[in-house]
Amino acid sequence: MAKIVAAMAMTHSPGLAGWFESAPAEEQQMALDAFSDMRAHLREREVDVIILIGNDHLLNWPLNNTPNYTVGIDDEHVGPADWYDSWLQQEEKFSVPGHSALARFIVNESARLGVAMSSKRDMQFDDSVTVPTLHLNPDGEYRTIPINLNCTVPPVPDQVESYQFGITLRKILENYPGDERIALVGTGGLSHEPGGPRYFFIDEEFDRQYLALLENGDHAQILREITMERMEEAGSGGTGELIAWFIVMATTKGVANVLGYAPSYSWRSGTGFVIWPEIAASTGSGQAQSSMEKSDSM
Amino acid sequence: MGNVNRVDKTLKLNEMIYYVRKDAKLRDRWQSDLKSLCDEFGLTRTEYDALESRNPAILMDIGVHQYLVPHIMRLFYGTSGMTNSHPAMQAYLKAFPEESERALKGTSWQHIVNDDG
Repeated sequence: MAKIVAAMAMTHSPGLAGWFESAPAEEQQMALDAFSDMRAHLREREVDVIILIGNDHLLNWPLNNTPNYTVGIDDEHVGPADWYDSWLQQEEKFSVPGHSALARFIVNESARLGVAMSSKRDMQFDDSVTVPTLHLNPDGEYRTIPINLNCTVPPVPDQVESYQFGITLRKILENYPGDERIALVGTGGLSHEPGGPRYFFIDEEFDRQYLALLENGDHAQILREITMERMEEAGSGGTGELIAWFIVMATTKGVANVLGYAPSYSWRSGTGFVIWPEIAASTGSGQAQSSMEKSDSM
Repeated sequence: MGNVNRVDKTLKLNEMIYYVRKDAKLRDRWQSDLKSLCDEFGLTRTEYDALESRNPAILMDIGVHQYLVPHIMRLFYGTSGMTNSHPAMQAYLKAFPEESERALKGTSWQHIVNDDG
């Protein structure tokens, strides 16, 4: 039985690699401090494997075929893809070990549990994997399994489906015949609208409301208030990346610790970082499961 | 869903950008002979004209996915140093002046609206 021992989420905006220095010094320091806290948490929890959950950004799948969940199943992951080298200011590729056995198990076990997940060899990587890898796993210390999401091609999974997927992912990991210690890291968000008419827009009010709800720790309330419709209002095609955070949150219990936040107009994204200190007991359901079953509106 | 709902998931231009990003030879051809590349992917005149406009608003109006539009701008204007002053971002300032001004008013980037927007 693999065990989730750490749960975190972070913004993955390309500015955090490609034009980091363009932001005010206090924003840079906030991000650096948060990355330091996250790396320390990975060490403290004695993590073996990081599962990175983030937006595919139309990189591995074209518009006529966009699976909601795709697992990178190789034993080594190299990135970024060439097109992104200069955009992310990377002169050299990163290389991190994968975990093919566990990744392939996730794909096959998800099918047995009724969830369609695609798999990919030679997965390509942009900011959603490169940014967290550079900052959390720069030396390839942790084996990595990327799970890419469809966050941007309608229809996309909403907050409730994502939360339920998180519960399923935990079951899958618990069914794995190994003793790996897993960190789930959701990447993406907060408010931004990449490529849309409001490319420069950040909805600071939304971001602070969402982070306050995370700090309050009532999952059912978060699922009621942070809908996909609300996320789209706060930045179409970008803020919805927070479904990755919902997936991770489903495996946790109670409050999240907000490590830092800035409405970064330089990085063109609400920029935030959180750690959930407590992982939910393996009861087979998420904290908000019972209230979700009571409400058809979610 | 908001603006992303405007995408035409069957548009050949969307398909073309997907592949151009991933293939250095196609990216070279983008620079050297864009018209023949567009012909090879079967783009319509409307799609080609939208590309040549280098206008994000026009590209989204014909159904290009919003996330691919900055990639088109980067293919035209370069990929490095994508701060708000980059020519690719200036294209957005020009295409969406009101949205951009509202977003950047009172921020440290307000000057780019006044200078170029």
